[in-house]
Amino acid sequence: MTVRRLVLPLLLAAACAGLVVAAVRESRRAAEVGEGPERAGGRVERCLVCHDDPDESPGGAHAADALGCEACHLGNRLAYDKRRAHAGLEREPGALDTVDRTCGRSGCHVREVERVTRSLMATGRGLIAVDRWVFGEAPGPDGTETFRELLAVARPSPAQDHLRRLCAGCHLGTRGENRDDAVSGVGSGCASCHAARRAPGTAGRHEPIDARVPDERCRGGHSRSGRVSLSYAGLVELRPGDPAATTRLYDGRPAAAAEPDVHGEQGMSCVDCHTIPDVMGDGRSYAHEEAQAEATCEGCHPPAAAADGAPWGAAGDALVRDLLRLRGEARGPLEPARWTRRGVPLWNVRPAHAFAGGDGEAAEAPWALAGKLDGRLHPLRPTPADADHGLRGHERLACVSCHAAWAPSCATCHTRFDAAGRQWDFGRGAEVSGAWVEESERFGWGPPALAVLGDRIVPAMPGMILTVDAAGTGRAALERRLFAALDPHATRRESRSCASCHAEPVALGLGSGTLDLGPGGPRFEPAEPAAGEAGVAADGWVALFPSRPGEGTRAGLRSLDAAEQRRVVRVGTCVPCHGESSDAIYGDFGGAVGALFAGGSACTFRAPEWVRGTAER
Amino acid sequence: MIEPAAGPRCRCGDLALGFLAVTVLSGVALAPLYRPEAALESVEAIEAGLPWAWLLRAVHGFAALGFLLATVAHLVDAVRAGGRERLPAGPWWRSTLLLPLAVLAMLGGFVLRGDAESLAALAVWRGVLETIPLLGAPLATLLLGPPGAGFGAVTAHHAGTFSLLLWLIAADHGRRMWPTGRSWAVALLSSAAIAGVVPLPLGPAEPTGVGLLGPWYLLGLQGMLLDLPPATAWLVPVFLAGGVGALAHVQGRARTATLAALGALLAAWVGWTVRLLLAGAG
Repeated sequence: MTVRRLVLPLLLAAACAGLVVAAVRESRRAAEVGEGPERAGGRVERCLVCHDDPDESPGGAHAADALGCEACHLGNRLAYDKRRAHAGLEREPGALDTVDRTCGRSGCHVREVERVTRSLMATGRGLIAVDRWVFGEAPGPDGTETFRELLAVARPSPAQDHLRRLCAGCHLGTRGENRDDAVSGVGSGCASCHAARRAPGTAGRHEPIDARVPDERCRGGHSRSGRVSLSYAGLVELRPGDPAATTRLYDGRPAAAAEPDVHGEQGMSCVDCHTIPDVMGDGRSYAHEEAQAEATCEGCHPPAAAADGAPWGAAGDALVRDLLRLRGEARGPLEPARWTRRGVPLWNVRPAHAFAGGDGEAAEAPWALAGKLDGRLHPLRPTPADADHGLRGHERLACVSCHAAWAPSCATCHTRFDAAGRQWDFGRGAEVSGAWVEESERFGWGPPALAVLGDRIVPAMPGMILTVDAAGTGRAALERRLFAALDPHATRRESRSCASCHAEPVALGLGSGTLDLGPGGPRFEPAEPAAGEAGVAADGWVALFPSRPGEGTRAGLRSLDAAEQRRVVRVGTCVPCHGESSDAIYGDFGGAVGALFAGGSACTFRAPEWVRGTAER
Repeated sequence: MIEPAAGPRCRCGDLALGFLAVTVLSGVALAPLYRPEAALESVEAIEAGLPWAWLLRAVHGFAALGFLLATVAHLVDAVRAGGRERLPAGPWWRSTLLLPLAVLAMLGGFVLRGDAESLAALAVWRGVLETIPLLGAPLATLLLGPPGAGFGAVTAHHAGTFSLLLWLIAADHGRRMWPTGRSWAVALLSSAAIAGVVPLPLGPAEPTGVGLLGPWYLLGLQGMLLDLPPATAWLVPVFLAGGVGALAHVQGRARTATLAALGALLAAWVGWTVRLLLAGAG
């Protein structure tokens, strides 16, 4: 009975205590509620109550007063207190693991996200497949494994481990906090390209978000391996200590200056040529870069005699049309258009007269390209129907076979696993034991070799002349001598000389050395012979007149075979005198050689006998 | 009329009515602040945007919890004391509805939060109801509204149907419309004491990638749903309520067996709750 009497007083005391605690909590609640605006773009966006500093807005189409914060950063836009508002916050909007709820949310960039997540910059399919093939873990250089799968493997193979430590850092899906300095970006996924880098002294400011991607954002990933970003700007990476170094790259690597790409020299940016499908994909998952990329030289520089392609009315790519609409531009259905090789219209390429400012140099050419970043007009002249471009025997040559002035090379590479080292594993997001070490003897640049890819002649460089010493992983050492097809992005208006291809060993895939086309028959003396491979230069692909062509990093890529080499060097004997493509002998070279040996030619040259015996084609 | 000398030893029944009264009145006070069409937004405002509204919500929530616990305690006490002698079969069966109705009303309150957990709970609730043969789909629409229609139907049943039925049945059971002054005071003071100190939970606005948990008193069912067919979620409560109701008709060994079966079901419920909490939410 006594206890029962005490219940109510005790409860009253407890309630009073509870109300005191509640009063404290209530005073804190009132103090924590900010005073900024509560709405953005017509909806409740309470983040702005606190984050109302203009520096905290990216501005433009993504301005905080239009979109608020939650659309990109997630969290809870309805909350009044910081703890709840920041629950589930995304610090890296655009990161691929949450992109479906940020950039790719309904009403925003759903189509773009669907494309990007299947694109090579996200999947890395080609990179992975080639590496695993080189390591002897796959039968060929094509595969379907993606970085997402690779980074989730619990017990990676040596190649997977190699990729996870050395390559995964540039993959779009690797978050900023789990990434080395290779990509000096501010985020991952979409933000890798579309968020600007922080300028010095701007810490705390929100990075601008922009559909327009300047070249400096491409170089994070593309200043390595093929190094096209560097070549485009006329830069060549060199090894530390190389006396040829005259400058440093943005990240401190030593470099030398070389001739820049003519397009770069004219002030064109990467995206002026590379379309949305090139960079972000078209929704399909491709095996390699050359399959995904759609831009071609002929898109802007078609043969002079070629008729205009389909007009704009045939354009079916919704993204391009939306892009034009957002830019406030329109194309009539009958306006002539230029196209990528898979039929996406080049929206920044138009007949020169169609541009409002189409005067000056641009008006001198029938077509012009408007810079996507600066709007500057560049005249587009067609490929002339002259002797250079109509030469018999050159039908299979890609434009860059002649117009790529040089390409960077990493002649030899030794990759080994150092079991005693430690290295970051992007799969685990932590430093782990063991380290893959890549040692290259030399970096350089020079004219590329010629290779056969499918039915085309393309430039190629010694991409993987390497030894893989995976002893630390329990695997046997591997040796590979692979060249990689490459558009080096060092295009020049002037082409390689005839002799550069027909009388120089590099073009034939022989590497550095001396090519003697004398009476005794063609002979090649390597400048530095490869160990254990007779007649092969250390930086070469194959020997002269190989029994079988050298392998490339793609199925269908090979060096010139013996017959092709013979045909090339046969012309080389005549080039010293007949150095112009318009020379009469090139109209029917076989006939001219036949006439020479039959004495029916005015030529006084005593051609070596071996020139006569080569099969004609 | 219940004879006090022969009644249950605790006064949980009267206390339950006190908690119900506090719950209903605090709910009436909260109603103008809640907007079904902007559920989470209004709950966030109640929690942190409006002066003292969070305390009102907490009192509402903890009073509801008090009602549930007091009802369970009253039931256990009644069963322990021999329910057959206490109430005739009719009132006993009606009274067995109190517990499932209380759970439904509280589940409705959980769903009305509008956060990620509540949206998940609503989807599960609808999915479970739809597994009831023949009646499932219309019952789901009746209780929860059409899919995607928001929280209007749930609000109506939470504030109207379930509350009204609970009060009617509780009043019928206890033969009184209002709680005693002491029950009022105990319910109000204890709810206020806890509400001032313990924040009432509110889940994340969006799924966070971590599994979402339902209300604590239904975690056993949530755990069962990970391993058993969806129909389990209505069959088990039906068996539990039916078992309790059957106690009005059985004696001796049959009563013992019924109690054992009920105990086994409850043990399984607790077991799955523990398993779910240990393994993380499904």
